Amino acid sequence: MTLALELALVGFVLSTAAATALLRDLLASIVVFAAFSLGVSIIWVILQAPDVALTEAAVGAGVMSVLLLVTVAKTARSPDDAPLVSVNPKALAVVLVLVLVLVTTLPALPPVGDATAPALQETNEGGTTPYGYYIGNAYDETGVENAVTAVLVFYRGFDTFGEAVVVFSAVVGALILFGGGMRRETE
Amino acid sequence: MIPRPYFESPIVMTTVRLVAPFALTYGIFVTLHGAGSPGGGFQGGVVITSVVIMIAFAFGVGPTLDWTDERVVAGLFGGGVLAFGAVTLITVPFGGSLLRVDALPIPTKYAIEAVEVFIGAIVAGVVTSLFFLLSEGGEEE
Repeated sequence: MTLALELALVGFVLSTAAATALLRDLLASIVVFAAFSLGVSIIWVILQAPDVALTEAAVGAGVMSVLLLVTVAKTARSPDDAPLVSVNPKALAVVLVLVLVLVTTLPALPPVGDATAPALQETNEGGTTPYGYYIGNAYDETGVENAVTAVLVFYRGFDTFGEAVVVFSAVVGALILFGGGMRRETE
Repeated sequence: MIPRPYFESPIVMTTVRLVAPFALTYGIFVTLHGAGSPGGGFQGGVVITSVVIMIAFAFGVGPTLDWTDERVVAGLFGGGVLAFGAVTLITVPFGGSLLRVDALPIPTKYAIEAVEVFIGAIVAGVVTSLFFLLSEGGEEE
């Protein structure tokens, strides 16, 4: 039952991804892309990554679609009759080969939620692993139950500060680009 | 630019009136409870922004922008970055390295949650600004 649901979900995500790439109409493409993000966020839940799922649902399916929509609304829709873009067969072949190469790495992955996965051990042949350290010590060192938050703010705080500054720079750049605040200039 | 007509829909307006307080509460909850449950500043900030976007869809982007004080929005992301930077530095007088919030005299959990709130402020301010900029910004042609 669960497997059938998962397979249906994967099929949904793959078909929406293909539709996003193939649809010529940008508006339709954005709507399908939002559906794709929603499907991926449910996959994250199944893969036991609720933090990523929440981000995907809020940013990918929600805000990103809205930002793309308000941008596309300012452009003209092409009255082209063909609903799909034409695909270059050579490019498609290259992409398929790349996918096949990536698929060969799948059997090397541990099962989802496997506590004996090498990355989750405190130590392995290479010495102490960071993930094992976080899982083993995050609560004792920070008092934070959600290890993801502990890594984000405590262990990798500078990365997060950098991200915050990047986001800040993005909006400053956008403000400069649009010139003169959020309000539309009135004549 | 093609005209984008705004249709006043009582159904959408009523739905947004009902849902917005809960969505805002959820956004604040996600921001404040990043330490104990999935979520945090990034996700919470986006959920808070979605309330602004919801209101804009129901009542029009222009009126929503008129009700919004741009200085508050800019203060959110500007102040958030400054506050995060201050947290980076404030650990030094207490004997820690930069951003070692466990050197602070308060429980580390609260310092982490404070940082999450700052991140939430940055993200909420930035995404709200981007939304207004992309939909209403620029010069009229």
